[in-house]
Formats: sequence, structure tokens, C-alpha cells
Amino acid sequence: MMTPALIAAAALPLLQNGLVVGAILFSLGLVGILTRRNLIVMFLSAELMLQGISVSLVAWSRYHGDFGGQVLVIFVLSVAACEAAVALVFVLQAFTRTGRLDAAAWQSLREDNLDRTVDREIPALDASSPTFPRLTQAGNLPETDEQAALQRDHV
Amino acid sequence: MSPSQLLVLVPLLPLLAALFTVIAGRRLGSRAHLPAVIGITASALVAISLVVSTAASTSGGETPRPVDMVTTLWEWATVDEAYVPAANSPAAVPGTAVGADAHAARPLSISVALRLDPLTATMLAIITGVGLLVAVYSIGYMHDDPGYPRFFALVAMFVFSMSMLVAASNFLLVYVFWEAVGACSYLLIGFWFRKPEAARAAKKAFLVNRVGDFGLAIGVFLLWLTYGTLDFHDTLSPDGTILPGILGQTRLADVSGYVGGLVGTAICLLLLLAACGKSAQLPLHVWLPDAMEGPTPASALIHAATMVTAGIYLIARCAPLYMACPGALVTVSIVGTTTALVAALIGTVQNDLKRVLAYSTISQLGYMFASLGTGTLLGFTAAIFHLLTHAFFKALLFLGAGSVMHSMGGVIDMRRFGGLRKLMPITAVTFLIGSLALAGIAPFAGFFSKDEILASLHSKGWPDAHHAATGDHHAFLPPTGMAGATIHDVGYRGVASHGSHPLAVETVGLDSLNQPFVWQTLFWMALITAGLTAFYTFRAVFMTFTGPLRVPEEAGHHAHESPPVMTLPLIILAVPATLSGIVLFTTEGLAHFLAATPSFTAPAVVETASPAVFHWDLAIQGTLAAALGIVLAAVGHLGRRSDAPQMERWLGPLRPFLEHRMFIDQLYVAFIVKPIEALAYLAAMFDRAFIDGLVHSVARLPIATGAIVRRLQSGLVQRYALAGVIGVLAIIVILAWRL
Repeated sequence: MMTPALIAAAALPLLQNGLVVGAILFSLGLVGILTRRNLIVMFLSAELMLQGISVSLVAWSRYHGDFGGQVLVIFVLSVAACEAAVALVFVLQAFTRTGRLDAAAWQSLREDNLDRTVDREIPALDASSPTFPRLTQAGNLPETDEQAALQRDHV
Repeated sequence: MSPSQLLVLVPLLPLLAALFTVIAGRRLGSRAHLPAVIGITASALVAISLVVSTAASTSGGETPRPVDMVTTLWEWATVDEAYVPAANSPAAVPGTAVGADAHAARPLSISVALRLDPLTATMLAIITGVGLLVAVYSIGYMHDDPGYPRFFALVAMFVFSMSMLVAASNFLLVYVFWEAVGACSYLLIGFWFRKPEAARAAKKAFLVNRVGDFGLAIGVFLLWLTYGTLDFHDTLSPDGTILPGILGQTRLADVSGYVGGLVGTAICLLLLLAACGKSAQLPLHVWLPDAMEGPTPASALIHAATMVTAGIYLIARCAPLYMACPGALVTVSIVGTTTALVAALIGTVQNDLKRVLAYSTISQLGYMFASLGTGTLLGFTAAIFHLLTHAFFKALLFLGAGSVMHSMGGVIDMRRFGGLRKLMPITAVTFLIGSLALAGIAPFAGFFSKDEILASLHSKGWPDAHHAATGDHHAFLPPTGMAGATIHDVGYRGVASHGSHPLAVETVGLDSLNQPFVWQTLFWMALITAGLTAFYTFRAVFMTFTGPLRVPEEAGHHAHESPPVMTLPLIILAVPATLSGIVLFTTEGLAHFLAATPSFTAPAVVETASPAVFHWDLAIQGTLAAALGIVLAAVGHLGRRSDAPQMERWLGPLRPFLEHRMFIDQLYVAFIVKPIEALAYLAAMFDRAFIDGLVHSVARLPIATGAIVRRLQSGLVQRYALAGVIGVLAIIVILAWRL
């Protein structure tokens, strides 16, 4: 028989572990979003922060024996899925505008008369042979209009 | 319908016509004149029926009794207990407030009230009659003008405003419509607003009139302070007290009902200033000659026959006020006579046919002022008589000039055409009739009215000669029972001798001008003016209609007699220009009729009544002066091409002086316009340097703040995220601290 006190004693390290994992995830995400320039990586970092919070929510939920926190996490996950869809569209649009995934390419949105901040130059676009991201092939190749594909300068 | 209900129709119909034309004018196209012509016709018929019905109610007794019918349409504004008469205020002069308490507080009530009396009926008949003929004439004159509907809307609007002006029974309403006719005049002078001269002339007329309007405004304020009401008519307050109106029967019957002295004179002079502005008297006459830039029918209606007589109307209406201030009266005459002479002199050298007529209008209006200033019943009725005949013959002359201008392709310089009698016989004959009337040749209309004016001036200059003539003629004697025997004891200086009143300062310098030799001078000036009038009128006739035919090339295919729609009004106007004088003079109809106007039944006016005698000596003098003028004009211009050699010899160095209109415009520019422009320049400098500097320095503050903060806006999304993180950390730290 486990007394409530025993349960509490056993639950405390579990909570601590959960919170530590959550904090690590959150910090990783925070550092990622502040330091990376790739839009997709930044987006992933933001997701990481979200999951860190979710882990800590689950830990607290279990500690208190209350399912409210876990239910909240389910909600967070579904909202995050929607948000991911929208965010990826933005990323895609940003890429089609500039041909880059670099956030620094959008620096021109700064105030007038301010100098550009450069830590590492954005590599120049190789307009002759653009490299597109590739996915693993799944199923048969779709019929493509070769002519149209040749005339597209980017995705 | 009762006359007072009919009275409402006179302004209402043109107003409806104007509104209809404004709304549907474009759709009516070339029929846009219909609403205005129909509206003014109906209103003219109503006005004539009003004259008849008013005349019926005045006739019957040997002595005129005051006739007025007041229709109050609605109360515009009412302020209770707005005026508390002081203990010795003239508003509380014993006998002027009938009822419980003369010193009780009175309301300020601005009632939209119309008043029908002989003076109003006469004015309405003139306004709508001439208005109708001018509207018909304009059908021909204005055809094919792009602003056709606009013109007729404005004419109808003017007839409405002017009818309201002469029918209003409240000084504030008079002021409102005084401005309204000014606005119509402005819009019609600037009718061809794309022409810079017309736009300038319109602005000038408006601005010069503002000076006069200022006088009217201050005068109305003073009237309110002095009399505690603005109504002409007596009003019955709910508690049964009669509040005497300024020109109501109660006050008129009271010999000491009007304030003389300093305040009275100030009121009269301010009203005179207003009249000078509207009626183009010295020194505010400068706008009228320039106003000829407007369409000729508008000049005939507004700047010859009706609007410019508003000043005459105002002074005639306020006759009892003036009777209490002999100094103001003599000022009216001096202003009028001087204007008459000066304008006639300038008119003799003008080469623009319309300008000649404009100066002639100024001069004739001066005549009317001179007559009003005599302060006798004869003077007042003579002024209105001359107003009436002048309206007919001057409208006739203007429309004739318009007819000439129409067929000469817009050329109005008399040196460029001549001998037009063969080309346009109807215009020539009617113009000649108008000129004979203007010159004062018997038996045309102007002769009789001018003779009465000369007689009224003569009676002031040589009072003995006229008193001796009394006796064999029956005349309108003072209405018995109205004022009693005290009239002669108190005289028209009644209030001035009311010693208790502090404002009734006896010594007003102007009063000392009321001397026979002043009046004698004025009479001679008027007589000289009569000669000059005949001279410049016939100079214009000879230059335009006699000699070999000469037509400027601008005329083109227009060089022929005007269409019937234009000549018909000329022929119709020629009839009263010929007959109105002799008919109204021999029957004494107008004088009797006008004597029943309430303003002229004040004891001070009535006691000046003199028998209407035909003064043979004056008639001969006037005719001789006119004949001399015509002969001089004939010598100088009959059949001649240009007037230059003759005029040079006669006028010598005076000619350039007169041709530049006595440099009055230049004086205004030098002494009024330029200083004001300099002041405006200074003000603009102050505005730009100081006020704008202040505003700009305030605007620099957010710019400076922004310069610091905008450095944060780097465009790097990581920085923004960092700012967010720092913010969250700060909140956490603060929360931890507080906990």
C-alpha cells in the first residue's frame, strides 16, 4: 500500500526530472531562435520551446494528479500543428521572395539611415544552377511539363 | 385674401421661382427663364393689387392717416427680459410705453414680420415691375449664354431679397436682406466670373459695401440700446402692455418719442453710412462704375432701378429718427448734393456708354439724398417720386444701352460707333425718351420729380418765399388729434430739450450747418448738376445715335435692331418714363399716397407739410439749365466723330482730372489699400517667423525622440526576439521581487 505521503515522495523526483527536461528543451529552443538565421531552424527552435513548456506542464499535471495540464498540452499540440502549417507557408513565401532561407535577407525592413548589421555575409545566389531542396522519392514520378520547369527560375 | 396675406406672396413667388430654377435649371435648358418670368409676373400683379388696395384705404379723408398692416409670419428668436430700460432711458420716455410699467424688462423678439404701407407698396411695385421687364428683356439679351439658368435664378433671388428688404418690419430683418441683396449684386456683377475685370469688380463692390454694412450693424445695435426693440411696429406683450416699436404708431404719435442729441445723430449718421454704401454715395461710390462689368440687364435692375435705392428707402423709412437730428439731416443733403455734382462732372468725360449711365445713377441718387435731407414732407415724397421716375427712365436707358451693346458685339465705347438711329430706330427713340426724362425736359417724367427736389431744396434755402406762398392752395395739414398743439411748442428738437436725459447732448456740431446759406449753396449745386446731367446725357445720345453710321467690326452679323423680346420692354418702359411724372404730379396721387406712410405721419414730419405748388420760377431755372446742357452737348458732339478737341478746349486741365475719376480710386489705393497690404505683409511675416517657428519647434521634439528610438528598429528578427526575452525576464524579476 502506498500512502499519499509515499506517493508524494516518489512523485517529487519525477517532477524534478520533467521540469529539468522541459527547461533544457526550452533553453535550447531559446538559444536556437536567438542565434540561428535559417528560417526553418528558427521555426523548429520555436517548436522546441513550445515542447519544453509542454513537458513541464505534463510533469506538473502528474505531480498534482490533475489531468488539466495534460489536456492543455493536447490543445497546445493541435494549435501548434495549425500554427506550423501557417508558419511554413510564411517561410515558403519568404523563400520565394528572396531565394533564401536566411532571416538576415530581410534586414532591409530596418529604419532608414541605419547601417546593415553583418556578422557573416549572406552568400550570393548562384542564379545559373539553383539548388532546390530534395525529398526522398515516394511513389511514381509525376508527369512534368519540362518546358515550364526549365523556365522557372526558382520554386 | 387680405392685403397682408397677399403681401407674403410678393417675395414668396420669386423665391419659389429661384429655388425651382436652381434645382431644375439645367434640365429646362433654353426655357430656364420660365420660372423666373412667371414668378416675377405673378408677384408684379400682386404688388399692383397691393398698391390699389393700399391706395383705397388711404383715400377718403382730407388729412392722411397712417396706414400699415403688419403680418407676423413667425418668431425667429425670442429672449425674455433682454432689455431693462434705465430710469431715464428714451425707451421709457413717458407716453411711449402704454400699459403696466414703462420700466419693466422687455423681451428681445425678432419676429419675421412684413409690413404693408404706402412706401412699401410703392417700392414693391417698382421692384417687381422693373424686375419683370428686365427678366423679359434678358430672354433676348442672355440667350446662348452658358450661365442662362444661373442668371434667371439670381434675378429671381434678387427680386425676393429686395421685396423682403422693403417689406420687413424689423431692423434685423432689414439687415439680413440688406446683405442678401448685396450678395445677389455680388453674384451678378461677377456673373462672367472667368473675366478678371468682372471678378475684381464684384469683389470691389462687395468690399466697399461692407463698409456701409458695418454702419448699418452698429446703427442697429445703437437702436436696440436706445429704444429697446428692433421692431418697426408696436407689439402687444402677453400681459397687455404695448411695446412701442421704433416706427410704430405709439411712438410716432409722441412728439418726444425720438432721441436727438449725440446718440440720435450717431444712429442717423451710421444709417447714412449704410445708405452711402448701398446707394453709392461719396465717399463709397467707387464700386458702382465698376459694377458695370456685370450683364446689362442686371445693371439696369440692380445698379440703376432698385438695389441702389435701398439707401433712399432706409432713410425715408427712418424719417422720424432723422427729424430729431437736424445735423444729420443736413449731412444727408450735403453728401447727396456733393455726390450729385461730383458724379455728374465725372460723367461728362466718360466714353463708355454704361459708365456714363453709372455716374448718372450715382448723381441722381445724390439728388434723392439731397431731397431727403431737407427733412420736409415735400422732400421725402419728392425723393420717392424721383426714385420712381428714375427707376423707369434709368432702367430704360440701361436696357437701351444693352440693346446697343448687344448689336455692337459687346463694344460699349461710344467713340467706336455712331449714327445708330438708322440701324436701330426703336432703341434710338426709346433711348431719346429716357434721355429727355433724365435731362429733366418737360413733359417727361424726370422734369417733375427733379422740379420737386429743387423746390424742396429751395424752400429750405429761402424759407420766407415759400411761407408766403401758402394760403391760396389747400394742402395736407397736420392731422389733428394726433399730436395736438404741442407740436409747435416742442418742434422736432423735442428730445434734445428733454433736459433730464443724459445722452441728449444739445451741442452737436453738425446742427450748426442747418443754415439758409448752406441750403442756398446746395440748391445752386443741384441746379448746376441739372445742367451737367442734360449735357452728359445728350453727349451720349449724340455720340451714339447721330452722325454718319459707324459700326465696329466686332458687331459682325449682330449689327441690326434687337429682337422684339428686347425692344418690347424698351417700349413699355418708355410709357412711364414719359407719363409717370405728369400724371403723378398733376394728380398729386403719389404725394397723397405716401403721406399715409406711418414714418411720414410723425408730427415732426407733418408740420413741415407745405402746399404742393408748381413753382414756375424753379421750373424755368431747371429747364434753362437742362437746355443749356443740351445745347452745349449739341455744339460739342452733334454729328461729330470724336469729342476730344471741343472738350479739351472747354475743360482744359480739368479733363485728365475728371477722366481719372478725380483720382478717388487712386486715393483709396494709396491711403487704404496699400497700408492694409503693408499691415498684412507684417502679419504674414510674424506668422511665418514666430507662430510657425513655435509650431515647428514643437514638431522637432518627436523627431528628436524618434532619432534615438529608431536605432532599435534594426530589421534583424533575432534582435526583436531578444528584446522579447529581455522583457519577459524583466517581468519575472519584478514579479519575484514583489513576491
